[in-house]
Amino acid sequence: MYGRGAHARPFVALIAAVGIATLVGCGSSGKPASTSSGGTGGNGAVKTSDCGTKPGVKATGTPIALGTIVTNQPGVNFTDIPYMAQAYFNCVNDNGGINGHPIKYTILTEQTNPAQIAADAQQLVQTDQVLGIVGNTSIIECSVDSSYWQQHGYYIIDSGIAPECYSTSNSAAVNMGPRYSSDGAVQYALSQGVSKIVFDQANVPGTDHIAAGPAALAGNKNVPIVQLTENVPVTSADSVAIKEVNDAGPNGAVILNFTPPDALVILKAAQSLGLADKVKLWGCSTPCNTDFLAAGLGAQWNSKLFVNAELTPPDTTNSPTMKLYQDILTQYGSSGPNKVSGGVGSFSQMGFTEAEIAVHALESIKGAYTVASVNAAFKGVTNFDTGMLCQKWSYGGYSSHLPNNVDYTVTPNNGKMAVAQGCTQVSSVDPDIAAYRQQAGVAPLDPTANG
Amino acid sequence: MPSWQNFQPFIVTGLALGGVYALSGVGLVVLYQATGVVYLALGAVGAMGALITYSLISGGMAHWLAWLVCLAFSGAVTLAYGMIFGPLLAKRDPLVKATATLGLLLVLFGAMDLLWTTSGGAVRSLTFPTDGHGFSLGHVTINWTQVIGLGVGVAITAGTAAFLRFTKLGTAMRALANDREITATLGVPVRRVEAAAWLGCGILAGIAGLLLADMVALDATTLTFLVISSLAAALIARLRSVTLTFGAALLVGLVQNMLVPIPALTSYSNMAPFVLAAVALLLLSRRRVIGLSREEA
Repeated sequence: MYGRGAHARPFVALIAAVGIATLVGCGSSGKPASTSSGGTGGNGAVKTSDCGTKPGVKATGTPIALGTIVTNQPGVNFTDIPYMAQAYFNCVNDNGGINGHPIKYTILTEQTNPAQIAADAQQLVQTDQVLGIVGNTSIIECSVDSSYWQQHGYYIIDSGIAPECYSTSNSAAVNMGPRYSSDGAVQYALSQGVSKIVFDQANVPGTDHIAAGPAALAGNKNVPIVQLTENVPVTSADSVAIKEVNDAGPNGAVILNFTPPDALVILKAAQSLGLADKVKLWGCSTPCNTDFLAAGLGAQWNSKLFVNAELTPPDTTNSPTMKLYQDILTQYGSSGPNKVSGGVGSFSQMGFTEAEIAVHALESIKGAYTVASVNAAFKGVTNFDTGMLCQKWSYGGYSSHLPNNVDYTVTPNNGKMAVAQGCTQVSSVDPDIAAYRQQAGVAPLDPTANG
Repeated sequence: MPSWQNFQPFIVTGLALGGVYALSGVGLVVLYQATGVVYLALGAVGAMGALITYSLISGGMAHWLAWLVCLAFSGAVTLAYGMIFGPLLAKRDPLVKATATLGLLLVLFGAMDLLWTTSGGAVRSLTFPTDGHGFSLGHVTINWTQVIGLGVGVAITAGTAAFLRFTKLGTAMRALANDREITATLGVPVRRVEAAAWLGCGILAGIAGLLLADMVALDATTLTFLVISSLAAALIARLRSVTLTFGAALLVGLVQNMLVPIPALTSYSNMAPFVLAAVALLLLSRRRVIGLSREEA
């Protein structure tokens, strides 16, 4: 996510959101059309028992071991993502499992320590003997473990933060990550006819990589762009807001790529100094897509702040998948040591999506569950309707993976985030996106997406 | 280099933040004078008080009452620490006393991380009714919270200076700073004087926590470590003068904010407190060495 560098927080934000999948109704999974039960797609018909193939029957076979590595340190806590995946797996285990096999999920936490992260990967593979890695969300895990996963034949399903989560053959994320989400935010601003872009982001490792995308998009439209970085946590928000507005000018846009707390203090500072209306619009990458932020800002930012959103908005989407997600969250994720503390939101949506994709892949395996068969199944996921993303999700044997590249734009609406623009392709002007689409093409839209 | 006009808004933000840094700085100096403790947990105490206030307001409590709870919490925690650990550490080296307060900082920091989790994209903010109101001075918009930040800094500094100079308790605190043993033998109730210093410092931590939560961020990490700016101001004043601490705090706030619009220096603005403190200490120690040399000669 986007984050706070060495101090941690920075990345918290990376949340670049995600998308998720719905089992339901997606033909190839072999699972009953769980989210479509009821036939009409009315959400009232969905039950948590729809998450498995044998409702009400506990899985008692040999466990299928999966694992994950997640950052959990003061200020940066991504555990809601694997905790939601755990909730989903628990639901599956209570309803038939994977052909009778329960999923055993091992969650290891790390504190942005490369040696620890490398040891975690070895523990999962050698000690816990996991067959697959699902739900990794870490500031640097992709950078540290990427080659290890490749050597051992693991194809990771994760929430990406570091560039290697997208640029390597063995990682496919359900979210877009900071660069491509920033692309989406800048693209929306350009579509509104702004005359200048100020792109401001946390001063953390990887800023040049992230900045290259917005620079390409603005350059393509001959719109000048000012690139700024701020040390985080931001301690002079008033000054930062003044600087941004002065640089952008009255017909310009200020685009932020920060964690929610830092974005909030900057936007609040702009508001209290009367600067919100001194530019044409404000934009933000995915981390700002949280009702916490909408509620913290107030009505002045309605249709003034536009946030790139990588996941289907849960508040305004009445689909079977969204209902299943919320029901599983309530029944399996709302208590106990692995409680999903953030409740409904991007983090838990990401965990749900990753687990759903993993279960879909596991159910396609016909023979024994081994590292080879499980990871071949993960890699083989193609055009899967997650119900949480704009487009269908694929893994594939590509050298890079950016399977989520069509996004929403949302804006605060009286304390909630509401859709301002439906599913829109992020521009291929960003060379990374162009390279991915050259390999994988453009996936079809998810039928439940708000196009 | 930005024009003078472009600098003007940054002067306002710098003075406002400097005023709040002064609050904490004055608390640090008074406590050090009375007890010999550099209270590094001051930021964490204020941060936790502000987070408690946020939770109470979110739960429906009246704002003014929640603010008072923050001050009561900050004062009580600081007083309790001082009463329990102060006597135990009274004869230890100042470095040990300062390091011990890091223990309290870590306990509070851990508690905040557990109680106000940052998972799930959670963000929090604390706002004052004065945030959205203000006035314009030339090209600069000033809100009343900024005025309050500076005003409270001035008031607390002036009040503390007068308190130390004109009251019996203040005189006792100054006496403790000069010589603890002699002061005690003269019948000054040392424990009571120290308790007053701990309590006062805690309340100032609470006020600063509330103001900084609004002006900077309601975030445990940010608020906990903002004590560094105040500590820099106190160090520039050599932990002796509240008036000098106030001036130094304004300087820290001004320099830190006025570096922001200068592209080549903006990334280094957070270094301002350290650099100013280091330069001041070097200059002061050089003057002292020269003074001693002259006396010997």
